[in-house]
Amino acid sequence: MATAYRLWEMLDRARTGRFMDEDDFLPRRFTPTLKKLIKKYEIKYDPKTPCPSDDAMADRIWQAAWDLFREVGYYNTDSHRIIEVSDEEIKEALYMANDQYWVGGGKDARLWKHRQVEDKTPPFCIMSPDITVDEKYHQSMCMAYLKEPLLDGFCGPILEETFGHLIESGGPTEISGCIQHIYNQKMAARLLGRPGTFMVAVGTAEHDSGQIAVSDDNWGVQKTDSRLVGSLTEFKTADTLLNRALHYAQYGCFTGNLTGAIYGGWCGGSEGTAVTTVAYSLIGLLIHGAIFNQHFPFHLNTCSNTTRELLWSISMAGQALSRNSKLLYTSNGFANAGPMTEMLFRETAVHAMVSTVSGWHLWEMASTRNKYRNRATPLEARLGIEAGHAVANQGMSRAEINEIANRLLATYEDLAADAPMGCEYHECYDVAKALPTQEHLDMFRKIKDEIAAMGVNFLY
Amino acid sequence: MSLEQLSKLVEDGEAEIAQDLAANLLENGSDPIEMIEMLTRTMAHVGELFAKLDIFLPEIMMAGDALSAVVKVLGPYLDKVGGQKCKGKVVIGVVKGDLHEIGKNIVKLILETNGFDVKDLGYNVDSLTFVKEAEAMGADFIASSSLMTTTMPRQKEIIEILKDKGIRDKYKVVIGGAPTSQMWADKICADLYCYDAKSAPELMASLMKPQDETTR
Repeated sequence: MATAYRLWEMLDRARTGRFMDEDDFLPRRFTPTLKKLIKKYEIKYDPKTPCPSDDAMADRIWQAAWDLFREVGYYNTDSHRIIEVSDEEIKEALYMANDQYWVGGGKDARLWKHRQVEDKTPPFCIMSPDITVDEKYHQSMCMAYLKEPLLDGFCGPILEETFGHLIESGGPTEISGCIQHIYNQKMAARLLGRPGTFMVAVGTAEHDSGQIAVSDDNWGVQKTDSRLVGSLTEFKTADTLLNRALHYAQYGCFTGNLTGAIYGGWCGGSEGTAVTTVAYSLIGLLIHGAIFNQHFPFHLNTCSNTTRELLWSISMAGQALSRNSKLLYTSNGFANAGPMTEMLFRETAVHAMVSTVSGWHLWEMASTRNKYRNRATPLEARLGIEAGHAVANQGMSRAEINEIANRLLATYEDLAADAPMGCEYHECYDVAKALPTQEHLDMFRKIKDEIAAMGVNFLY
Repeated sequence: MSLEQLSKLVEDGEAEIAQDLAANLLENGSDPIEMIEMLTRTMAHVGELFAKLDIFLPEIMMAGDALSAVVKVLGPYLDKVGGQKCKGKVVIGVVKGDLHEIGKNIVKLILETNGFDVKDLGYNVDSLTFVKEAEAMGADFIASSSLMTTTMPRQKEIIEILKDKGIRDKYKVVIGGAPTSQMWADKICADLYCYDAKSAPELMASLMKPQDETTR
């Protein structure tokens, strides 16, 4: 059963809730409440443990997140009103939420189930470059990802141009670009013999009109796929975002909640980032009717989440969610380095392993800070996901992964600000065949062997 | 009562107490120019702490609010002694279709604390509005932020409107935002690409000729 049945109550509160000036919401309501709760629940970051084993603090983070959502609410920037919920409503939504869904269609359907901390069941793995790509490489890149055997879901690269026209949000070029985007994705999946693959977003569609334009069970986003509803930093929404939540629910596809708490921003440090991330999962459930939450907390300066202060937040948030709910949630990696660099492979592996043992599912990998066109490939995501499968299958503990993470962090964390940009897709992949170059594969194997020597038993 | 105490109060974001102390210091004969110069150094220090994330956004925003509160008190005193040097006038906003403003807000604060006069247009700002507001202000800079690739074209649109109105050379166009780059700035013929907030004051000041500085 989907969780959008209370959607109209929430939409009503977006119009009738408590009034507040937008300029006051974050400095006078969100941040002071968050600081108070961090102190109340004694949540404390320890830089020595990027992957902590602290069940008690995980439970306190859960409680702090619950209180944060209940005390702060969710602000609609169009109506200047706050959507607030009660404890009873949160409890009802958590009780009614499913702990598993069949996603995708036909023979390609996958069962997506809630995971526990240190769960031996492998994570559900969504692969995505999360960047824009030249129009001429779009379908090749889609095929390259869809060739990955461990891919359970796919989020395709974003188009900046549609048959030579620059795509503008809210304009006709966006409508066209979105159609082109989903056509390329679906065609790539069909050509590769996996037409029912779970597709999770149409990132080219920034405006709600773009999303609505591609809702078609024959050629577009199907009801076995999902789309994402984002938030504005932090705890804010707008009518255009609520439109999406409503449309997806009424159309009948799955809804994912997209959030990126900013370390160094209004959340403050690692503690606030963890609490905010968990609270967003409750927001996604109650307000967007989401069946899963897709989280990418990131560093304000580097725009990445593979250094220890963010890994800690990710690990603790995952543990809080796993221990206290049956929700589904993905941990989206944002790396500093670019494709075909050793650093990127290590960053991805660390992110995936820490996330996996902390109860997350995986979404890998937004390379090169998610900033540069054409700079992401499936191969780094492959390594992360193979590592995730390996540590789950092996039953590795948080403590064991903490040790491995510290060893790998020592190789790259001081380089985060000046990370190498690596290559563009066409420089390390055969575009025609959508396969990595030999040089790229050799580097992948080298780092995989390095991680295996640290005690990770890859399955193949 | 001392300037050092005032500096600490601003750094700690204690707006009301800082405002009261500033008023007292002025009544007791403190030099407003010396006060503003000290506070500029204070905010530069706060900016450095923020750049390293030794403090976070809420702390620098509170410090900025405290500075604004003190500057309000200083204003009439500064006018009497010829005003405060303004390094440049800026209209800043997030382009149309884009609702993400955290980066723009940080840049605005850093510019204000470094002697720029800034008019914040908010987010989802029409390209023509940037131009009209710049005209109304007599601005030196038009600064636009875009956080999504599909709203980046609006940054180009601002420049095109300036050209169509025959006033391209009147303004220095600055762009920034996560998906933007020097390559994009070159493509649309922007005058400046700011990679991050902390580099903005120096880069923008370098575009101003000395005779362009005014008092405010």
